[in-house]
Amino acid sequence: MDNEIVDLHLRDRHERKQWESFLTDLGITDFSTQETAAIDFTLGIYEGDRLVATGSAAGNVLKYIAVCNKDTTNGARFNAIVSALINRLFQQQIFHLFVFTKLKYSDSFQHVGFHELAHSDVAALLETGDEGIDDYLQAIPRVADQDTKQVAGIVMNANPFTKGHRYLVETAAKANDVVYVFVVNTDASLFTTAERFELVQAGTADLDNVIVVNGGDYMVSFATFPAYFLPTADQQVTYQTTLDARIFRERIAPALNITARYLGTEPLSRTTGIYNQVLTKELPPAVNVTIVDRKQTDTGTFITATAVRKAIAEDQLDSLADLLPVSTVTFIKDHLSTLRARIQKGMNINGN
Amino acid sequence: MEIKQTALAGTLESSDIQIMLSKGTDGVSIELESDVEKQFGDQIRLVITETLHQFELDNVKVKAIDKGALDCVIKARTIAAAQRALQTQDQPAWEVF
Repeated sequence: MDNEIVDLHLRDRHERKQWESFLTDLGITDFSTQETAAIDFTLGIYEGDRLVATGSAAGNVLKYIAVCNKDTTNGARFNAIVSALINRLFQQQIFHLFVFTKLKYSDSFQHVGFHELAHSDVAALLETGDEGIDDYLQAIPRVADQDTKQVAGIVMNANPFTKGHRYLVETAAKANDVVYVFVVNTDASLFTTAERFELVQAGTADLDNVIVVNGGDYMVSFATFPAYFLPTADQQVTYQTTLDARIFRERIAPALNITARYLGTEPLSRTTGIYNQVLTKELPPAVNVTIVDRKQTDTGTFITATAVRKAIAEDQLDSLADLLPVSTVTFIKDHLSTLRARIQKGMNINGN
Repeated sequence: MEIKQTALAGTLESSDIQIMLSKGTDGVSIELESDVEKQFGDQIRLVITETLHQFELDNVKVKAIDKGALDCVIKARTIAAAQRALQTQDQPAWEVF
């Protein structure tokens, strides 16, 4: 059995304990349920009875990779475990992988073919696979002479698209030649990615200089910013958003000549509040940040998508006309039973 | 010929090479990562390109991560990746060997 790659079963108490104590020895100590519950499978290498290397995958993200290099060629076990993870994911038709790691391990991953997307003082985000960020950027539509134009970007989940989102886009569209609206790609919201995308398109169709694109894996995705979708400690949120902001600053903005990013003020969500602070700190001077006050209804309440989802759950559809553009209202009325069914099935509507 | 799906063969272990093939748009493009790129980069690329030509693959993106593989290993891994990409694993390509 020596040095063979085996599956570890974390539900098995003995294996779980061994796995946790091995990781703890190597400085990985966060075994909170929300981190470990996302794991799809875990591989390990044993030397005798002793666990000497392990790695896990959650969706297309590699996690909990740890290797003991005692009594072996440096890197041999690391390469073995990473290639086993990659092979397994490829068999599952997952061809585009990410790893979020400590900065000092970035080189090790680059050595096995990963490319760094961005790094902060403590962490780095890398990707590998059949398509990378350059392919993503190349596929985004552009206008003629984009280099000479004033271009702005907005990233939104739009779950669903409200008058508040509309106001933000409109404000940016008035002040710029071109506005990119990146719709968050991760499917973890009440409205599916396709629905959210469609509603953003419908709600901005009359604005000629607005281009709606999918944010791919690079903007507020599950890979770059899991805390957006999971309750997380503030410090973690800061780590993740710093990387998200740097990917935008160093990779996305230069490729599309984006020099401004528009944000809405965030009175309610703490995570988004931290995100806005980090963006304000990280993006300038390359990208100017404009914070637009959140739109209010005529009666003075803030327009939020959270309130819209609540109204759907509580069957108060009359209140929607104040909050939503006609296109979104129509969609909700047409798909009410589907949306309700999703809420009943346990879709969280209080997050983002 | 065009490949049908992204495919992978080989590992990242010493003396091996990991070959990934995916849909390309612009001929055979090879992205090679190797510690001996300076000495053997051209030779590694040549072996991969020639092998792919025998499968008549003209538009393909190759990502190769070399850990010191010999030519015969490079060829074997490329064949395996190509057959997986073309979904012809069950029909050995004798003429290529």
